[in-house]
Amino acid sequence: MTDYHDGATMAASMPRRRFVQIGAATTALLAAGGVLSSCSKNVPEEQKEVDASAAERANESADSPSKATFERDLADGTWVSAACWHNCGGKCVNRVLVKDGMVVRQKTDDTHEDSPDFPQQRACLRGYSQQRQVFGADRIKYPMKRKSWSPENPNGDLRGRDEWERISWDQALDYVADELRKAYESYGPESILSFGSSGGVQNVLATLGGFRTKWDTASLGTCRFDWTRAGMLASNFQTANDRFDLRKAEIVVMVGANPAWSCGGIFPYLHLQAKKAGAQYIYVGPYYNATAQMLDAKWIPVMAGTDTALLLGVAQTLIAKDSPEHPMIDWDFLNKYAVGFDADHMPEGAKLDENFHDYLMGVYDGVVKDAAWASKITGASVEDIEYLAEAIRPGKRVSLIHGNAPARCNGAENFPQLFTTLGYMTGHMGKPGECTGCCYKSQVNGGPSLVKGGSKGYPSVKNPVTDTICAPVIWHSIKNGEFLSAGTDTKWENRGMIPVDIHVIHTEAASGIQGTPNLRDGIDVYRTVDFAFTQAFTFNTAAKLSDIVLPITTPWEREGGNAISIDREYVIFYTKVIDPMYEAQSDIWVAEQLAERMGLDPKELFPFDENQAFFNLLASSTVWDPKANDYAPLCTITEQDIANWGVEGEPQQGIIAIDDLVEQGVYQYKRTEGDGLDYVAYKDFLEDPEANPLTSDSGKFEIYCQWKADTLNAMGHSDMEFKPYPSYVPSPVGYETTFANLEKGEKGEYPFVLYNPHYFRRTHSCLDQVDWLREAWNNPVFLNASDAKALGIKDGDPVLVRNQYAQTVRYANLNETMIPGLVGLPHGAWLDWDDDMQIDHGGNDNLMMGPLTSNMGVSGYNNFNCAIEKWTGDEQPLDCEREIAAPRGIE
Amino acid sequence: MGRKGFYYDQTVCIGCRTCQVACKNKNQLEVGTLFRQVHTFETGSFPNARVYHYAATCNHCENPARVAVCPNAAMFIDETDGTVQHDDTKCIGCEYCVKACPYGVPQYIESKSKTHKCDACYQLRAIGEQPACVAGCPMRALEFGEIDELRAKHPDAVNQIAALPDASETNPSVAISAKEYALTQEGKKVLV
Repeated sequence: MTDYHDGATMAASMPRRRFVQIGAATTALLAAGGVLSSCSKNVPEEQKEVDASAAERANESADSPSKATFERDLADGTWVSAACWHNCGGKCVNRVLVKDGMVVRQKTDDTHEDSPDFPQQRACLRGYSQQRQVFGADRIKYPMKRKSWSPENPNGDLRGRDEWERISWDQALDYVADELRKAYESYGPESILSFGSSGGVQNVLATLGGFRTKWDTASLGTCRFDWTRAGMLASNFQTANDRFDLRKAEIVVMVGANPAWSCGGIFPYLHLQAKKAGAQYIYVGPYYNATAQMLDAKWIPVMAGTDTALLLGVAQTLIAKDSPEHPMIDWDFLNKYAVGFDADHMPEGAKLDENFHDYLMGVYDGVVKDAAWASKITGASVEDIEYLAEAIRPGKRVSLIHGNAPARCNGAENFPQLFTTLGYMTGHMGKPGECTGCCYKSQVNGGPSLVKGGSKGYPSVKNPVTDTICAPVIWHSIKNGEFLSAGTDTKWENRGMIPVDIHVIHTEAASGIQGTPNLRDGIDVYRTVDFAFTQAFTFNTAAKLSDIVLPITTPWEREGGNAISIDREYVIFYTKVIDPMYEAQSDIWVAEQLAERMGLDPKELFPFDENQAFFNLLASSTVWDPKANDYAPLCTITEQDIANWGVEGEPQQGIIAIDDLVEQGVYQYKRTEGDGLDYVAYKDFLEDPEANPLTSDSGKFEIYCQWKADTLNAMGHSDMEFKPYPSYVPSPVGYETTFANLEKGEKGEYPFVLYNPHYFRRTHSCLDQVDWLREAWNNPVFLNASDAKALGIKDGDPVLVRNQYAQTVRYANLNETMIPGLVGLPHGAWLDWDDDMQIDHGGNDNLMMGPLTSNMGVSGYNNFNCAIEKWTGDEQPLDCEREIAAPRGIE
Repeated sequence: MGRKGFYYDQTVCIGCRTCQVACKNKNQLEVGTLFRQVHTFETGSFPNARVYHYAATCNHCENPARVAVCPNAAMFIDETDGTVQHDDTKCIGCEYCVKACPYGVPQYIESKSKTHKCDACYQLRAIGEQPACVAGCPMRALEFGEIDELRAKHPDAVNQIAALPDASETNPSVAISAKEYALTQEGKKVLV
């Protein structure tokens, strides 16, 4: 795509402008050139001699100043709504100016005037960089086969280090079909491990008998447990109020969240509006992050993974300091809405004669869970813990909100129930400016959707293989030949050990191995199977480890679709920007071809083309109609539209013409303060608990939930013993295990807690290869300056992060904004594996996570342990100075 | 018409670098060339450390040092709006301007053997759009307009923070609503 990028040098057509010429003064103002980016190559080594003749020529050719070289046509062409399709949790408007099939430039939302109440959905740098991904040098251009692989001799040992050869689509699809047939016939559907999300080839596999896959708590962590059994809302979603209500809060306590880095887009801007309306933010977390910095939040530093102990200390402080003169507890709320707080409020069916209050006060174990106790386990100061308790006591309008980072820790099973319990104790629920819930991504703007994206209408095929492998232990289990079937969202039960024998690994529209913990074992597993194939548009980790790679279109090259309805107020619809690049095809096309080869009728799985699918999606999109108190069709479709689209469908009346919606690319519901569409979580229950009981057995909020303890303790992934109420249970790995002797404070072999912050350079692992993003964000490893000093590490030094599972090299960011004892390895970096040295040079996080999990099988991203030391090997160039790996042997 | 320049609200900036990339998109710049660039600084020590960002670009100074040093008059002030512009046809790539600018703004582009810099998106403004960085900022931290009007609208705004050179040198057309500590403490530049 050299020509495309050289578009920047297009000849000018703009008229020359008037100018004021300032004589070539000779004053030497050679001051220091300011601060420069690490990747900037703009540092001249020495002043160059002025080429007098060149100056003369320039003078001859131009008699007056212009800006010719950098001028290019920025206006002509067609604006198209383009996808930013990754799963950051935000969704934003990205528009692309296309001329003669070439992309001229991108812009973001200008579909309406911008205001805090009706904000534009502005993209972040990731959206602006999509063009560099779509036209990236590392696009998979053709179907490829790994050179040493053959059906007879897989040479699996060479996966990830072999050369590649270009093959035809027919050859590639034949290979895949033959290998699938062999696996189904010889070993059964359970022998095929598939990672996917597009509903393409996985539908074919499901029809053929199914496939083995993983179950992953992923972003949700322990919030994924079925907390509805304790009266909370599923996944703890919709538990915060809406964005207008957030502005009514006097105090916002934010625990373990950084929407600035993880979601981009609109969410940090919503917090800013609350701050501007007068809210004082308190941030509780291990790192004074970009969101907290922007909000000028009061910071309460706490070690990653110890939030449960911290909140127990806060809860005990509320009890200890409560008095009629200085109320710290909303007793009316507890009496009316919750069970299990004390002996007088126990639910029916309680098997254990214990309650939360007496646990905190040390009745059962002689340990009072006060601020001093919590301080030792969390790194937070006694003063801070007491400050937090005072800040959230009843009396002020307080919004207590949490991200999911504290739930993405081993041993964090108690966190969601405990966090919400603080709301029951202080009564900050169900009132204007008061809520206790989750602010993860769009959850900061709670409430039912006001506009909903529709469905493409493809039949979905259920995977008949229902036992899934828990993500953190998947590779280890496959190596061992058996896995524990426990967890999963529908069956919270221990189904025992099940044999596993994987022969084929497939990845489709998913990060697969790159996004799954214990990656080191994953490499070994890949090298033992008969066959691995990946559908990909870029040479990602799964592709690198495969035998056949199929080139897939990006959403910029497909008919159209909608970004998942992520926020209640808007839905993005994207359309085709360019024709498919090289030989790329869509996942659906691949699925159709494979279906045919496997003796299935593709029309049964995919009954219509992608144009009809896009039409279906638009036609089934709906918008809230307050007058009808129901959803109504979003777009108006006429007979003429149906004819123009060349599709089957029925005319319908909506509020925007279908083609206008496609052109606009977004529909945003216009909300105003006091429009009656406010959302206050749990409002119905709190107004009338008898008429609107909760989903728990007691119908109330359960601080004591028998089902929770029984289920977690039977799960079998670990041997932590949970109580029905929130309590402190040491994690199999976490802050405690960084010590050789916790009592004496003596550190062990891996003295740091390793946490994996979401990072602005990418969305999970998506976009990590994009050069503009690599230049903007260097992906260092973060550590406190005092820790670094003790280890002789200087700012920018290359360092080795290692633990018992793997090692990776990065450069060090020394800072004062992170709690000492913590190492921050940003989440999602692409593996850059050196087989000889057994070292990663990419900063991959999943590599550092061992096959270890706590009771519910959580992927514990934020509290593994590590050591860190100065790297003494080869020089480590910054990521933006490295070549992006391309398949060797392919032009 | 008065001199134009940028307003930057440091107090709401999250340091995301969207402005930097929106600029690269509009100008189609390869890695190594930045017409707008965000820097992150840290001041103080744990647990009271603070962070601020600075979204740097051409300040379109009233007395631009690099216009003065250009031996071939390739740098000039556009009298229609006071912005500092660059005539690429006259540029001989000598990099005098690169060294002269106290803000380190001009960028020598090796592949073109020329220097270039932020032109305040005059082409976009001519078709009714905002400069790319302004239109793209997710936090609405950037504005472009007549500098006197911007200063009147944001009376707290300054034209110098601790990390920047003395504004009296060139009288930059920039208005910054600064984090308090950024006014007095330069801090340490942070690799993010």
